[in-house]
Amino acid sequence: MKPSISEAEFDLLAAQTGLPLNAAQKRTLYDAYWMLEGMIERVNQPMPLDREPAHTFNPEVR
Amino acid sequence: MDEFLTIAAASKLIADKKLSPVELTQACIERVKQQDATLHAFILPTPERAMADARAAEARIMAGQSRGALDGIPIGHKDIYNTAGIRTTGHSRLLEHNVPDRDATVVRKWAEAGTVMMGKLSTHEFAMGGPSFDLPWPPARNPWNPEHFTAGSSSGTGAAVAAGFILGGTGSDTGGSIRGPAALCGIAGIKPTYGLVSRAGVLPLSFSMDHAGPMAWTVEDCALLLQSMAGHDAADPASADRSLPNFTADIAKGVKGLRIGVVRHFFETDNPVSPATLQGINHAVDVFEHLGADVRDATLSPLAEYHACGSIILTSEAYAIHEPWLKTRFNDYGELFRDRMAFGGFIRATDYVQALRRRRTLCEELKTAMAGFDILVSASQAAEAPLITEVPKWATMEKPSLTMPFNLTGYPAMSVCSGFGAGDLPICVQLIAKPFDESTLFKAGHAYETAMSTRERRPTLALQEAV
Repeated sequence: MKPSISEAEFDLLAAQTGLPLNAAQKRTLYDAYWMLEGMIERVNQPMPLDREPAHTFNPEVR
Repeated sequence: MDEFLTIAAASKLIADKKLSPVELTQACIERVKQQDATLHAFILPTPERAMADARAAEARIMAGQSRGALDGIPIGHKDIYNTAGIRTTGHSRLLEHNVPDRDATVVRKWAEAGTVMMGKLSTHEFAMGGPSFDLPWPPARNPWNPEHFTAGSSSGTGAAVAAGFILGGTGSDTGGSIRGPAALCGIAGIKPTYGLVSRAGVLPLSFSMDHAGPMAWTVEDCALLLQSMAGHDAADPASADRSLPNFTADIAKGVKGLRIGVVRHFFETDNPVSPATLQGINHAVDVFEHLGADVRDATLSPLAEYHACGSIILTSEAYAIHEPWLKTRFNDYGELFRDRMAFGGFIRATDYVQALRRRRTLCEELKTAMAGFDILVSASQAAEAPLITEVPKWATMEKPSLTMPFNLTGYPAMSVCSGFGAGDLPICVQLIAKPFDESTLFKAGHAYETAMSTRERRPTLALQEAV
């Protein structure tokens, strides 16, 4: 399997992270990136707008 | 003393003054001396502390002032649990010289219960990654065959319990880190309900997925250990404020009438398990039916859905914790941790929020499914332990985790040894209960263990060295 983006596009994303990745480290991550893409796609399946107010919090801090 | 004892058995002998905590501790220290150069279960053994604890326990017991079932019992702590005055490294170069000034809540509670602290146990770096060979300490190895992996990240605890170095120990479980090593090392380990056990003073990996829990040779021993771990702690914002049951009170009452659901698609199609693992699960199902449980199949969303959601949340939260060091000390981490963790920088905020929304949907699904069941059955590892040198770097991403669904949903889940498979290595079954129903989980696990004979067999290495 291969990522949906090119290595050059991946390098741009890598630069945005601010991590000090060398070329070999970037290549390693690029080769495995398709697995992360698959997971991101799964969690971004369409949901109704009002589906789950997941970000709840308790105002009474214990 | 060559005999291997469970906590339950040792506790009774100690209470009856037929076993000295000092002699028990000396025997454990001797095993560590003989075998830990091979197994690397400990990052830091603390024999002097252990002997001091043991002598104090013995004095209490002789004076009729026992602190209960754990008084005088040798234990160890995964090296992400803070121990006051004793190095706590997270098995990482970044904390190589870190000496906390306070105990984690669980460490304090076990000390107050009279346990004998044998030392700090190997983990995978910051409870993730591994097995790594580029860290200041080697990875733990499997007592059933040291060429093989323990799974992780509570790897040292799994190895130490199986080898008889300790009778029980602490683990932590963010995606399966208690149940995995319990499975591959042939012991029992429970990830309790989210909020049941305090994580205060435990190095975090993922705030909403981290669980602290016990590992031991038997289910009953896990129940005894959990009794002294659990309870509300204001120092952990996720800690549940509710009364605790007696986890061993009903443990021997059997499974007659329990409704058990088998999530067959998890381990038959979503992440197909090894032939022996499948055979072990099917045999466990037969045992439960024979013991009077009502067993049916259960269906949930595909394992990959739970895995993706859990992995996005875990990686995002862990990255948030480690980002400052990743940016400034990237190469001080081991290769496995830093490469896996770097992906956290590629996950957008919206992906994390969508994963949280999806998490709620999956929690609702599991709640609905569990309405008709008391216990679910699945696999906790897909196969017997692989060679330690052949664990893929992306193992946690390549196949959907069998344990992740219950970190994501917070449900209590336990790994129990179901026998031995290829290479005579342990195989396992995973049992899951409703939130805060650990008592039913222990009841089912204990009934299964009692019906089997797997608890009578110890690793060959341990037996050879003990002679």
